[in-house]
Amino acid sequence: MTYEKKKCWSILLRLYHWGLALSIVFLVTTGIYINGPWSNTMQLGTGLFPMAWMRYTHFVAGYVFTAAVLIRVFLYIFGNAQERITDCLPITGRNIQNLGKTLLQYSYISDAHDERLGHNVLAGLTYLITILAAIFQLASGFFMLFPESATWQGLGVSIFGNQQEARFIHHLLMWWFIIFAVIHVYLVIWNDLTGPEGLVSSIFTGVKFKHKKA
Amino acid sequence: MADTVNETLVPRLDRRGFLKGCTMAAAALGLSETMVPKLVEAATTAQRPPVVWLHFQECTGCTESLLRASHPDLGRLLLDIISLDYHETVMAAAGHQAEKVLHDTIEKYNGKFVLIVEGAIPTKDNGIYCKIAGKTAMAILAEVAPKAAAVIAIGTCATFGGVQAAAPNPTGSVGVQSLVKGPVVNISGCPPNPIALLGTILHFLTFNRLPALDKLGRPLFAYGRRNHDHCERRPHFDEGRFVEQFGDEFHKQAYCLYKVGCKGPETFANCSAVRFNDVDVWPVSVGHGCIGCTEPNFWDTMTPFYERLPNVKIPGSGIIADADSVGKKVLGITAAAVGIHAAVGIGKRLIKGKEDDK
Repeated sequence: MTYEKKKCWSILLRLYHWGLALSIVFLVTTGIYINGPWSNTMQLGTGLFPMAWMRYTHFVAGYVFTAAVLIRVFLYIFGNAQERITDCLPITGRNIQNLGKTLLQYSYISDAHDERLGHNVLAGLTYLITILAAIFQLASGFFMLFPESATWQGLGVSIFGNQQEARFIHHLLMWWFIIFAVIHVYLVIWNDLTGPEGLVSSIFTGVKFKHKKA
Repeated sequence: MADTVNETLVPRLDRRGFLKGCTMAAAALGLSETMVPKLVEAATTAQRPPVVWLHFQECTGCTESLLRASHPDLGRLLLDIISLDYHETVMAAAGHQAEKVLHDTIEKYNGKFVLIVEGAIPTKDNGIYCKIAGKTAMAILAEVAPKAAAVIAIGTCATFGGVQAAAPNPTGSVGVQSLVKGPVVNISGCPPNPIALLGTILHFLTFNRLPALDKLGRPLFAYGRRNHDHCERRPHFDEGRFVEQFGDEFHKQAYCLYKVGCKGPETFANCSAVRFNDVDVWPVSVGHGCIGCTEPNFWDTMTPFYERLPNVKIPGSGIIADADSVGKKVLGITAAAVGIHAAVGIGKRLIKGKEDDK
């Protein structure tokens, strides 16, 4: 059987993906340090400023993360057929069927692989939840970053109540991103092994392999 | 020898002390020194604005804190600048006499007096959990507040409900702003710095309007920044020098209290800048973390006071644990699930044999 290359992910989506992935690595590492600084400089006059550097890195990575989330939201509306939000939600017959087939395949009940170009709907839904979590991360993050801004204070107070609550939610949502990353990397490799598309390379090249229709 | 004992007991404010008080208030408000004469003028006008001070569900700690203020001696300044017509703790009248004073004041100065409320107001069961002179706190507030020129809530109880409103809030306590229409100035804190109250009153007297407020109704001159951002231990924070536990070597070195639960980074207040009691102290300067008492629901959200984050309550299980231990457990379960899933896949392939690539 022959395969053909099919264009799937735009360059903007791939940039979004790697911006988000890299920023999450930095945000989680520095974020864990900021919450519970594991080092203790102890001595005066070392000039190391570990907390200042961790926070600075966290904020830079935070802006990369913000940019990535904004790109994804843009692509949900204006992206190509695979990138639009309608392709991720179980709202069409094709999508609902795909969700069922994916669940059966993931639980080893069925071997049938529903071939489609974009995300399977289970993945699409999980990514959508992750973007929603990211939006709450941004709201709580900017609320804490700009304590003297009336706009962020108004937003933060109405969503979270006070800064401590925002910090708590910010920290709990971090665990979603860690757990998501573990499952995501595993399932992508799993799909790459079981399916024909070449899922791992598609996020670098933007191209997926599909069975060539005769 | 100077008669210092009697001198300090003279119930009069000398000119020097008075000017110092006004200058202090001007500094707290962030006004230029050219505004000091205006403040002095406003504070010495013949017609002292009458003030009604209502006490509801509270511990009188805010009044206590006010009595301990100095530079200016706030107790005297309050009596000289304003006419404190009704204040249950310090007034001489009692019983029917006291109630008559309250009634007369709000009738005579309708729309002109300043109302200061200390304490939360219970609303459950028609507010029967706090009664004064046979009337509920709700009824008293509903009667007095609409007639006031300005309403100031002092202390975290009056602003956000305080400890009474902490879960499960058995008496349905709320702060003043939940019951009063129109602007309420929230001088939050447990207790708040008297400078914040004095500044607000002087601002009102001088400009005939309330100071600029933040989104929670707190005056920006006192609550515009976080304690953390003016903290004297902030350099230790940035350079990563922390107290690991109370009483350790780093605690003796006055390092940052972040790791033992200081809530300075989450708390809007001027404690680290203005400090208390004329001896330049506040909790962090004496080795205890900030507990975030100026923030809404601080009893529920800032606890445990000696941990960085609140605990996670897992619904239905009764489990209360810190966020990171829950996170690590969930991560462990996830990793185990991933491992099992992979193993099942490999097992299935071994049993069924590898299918030919289609």
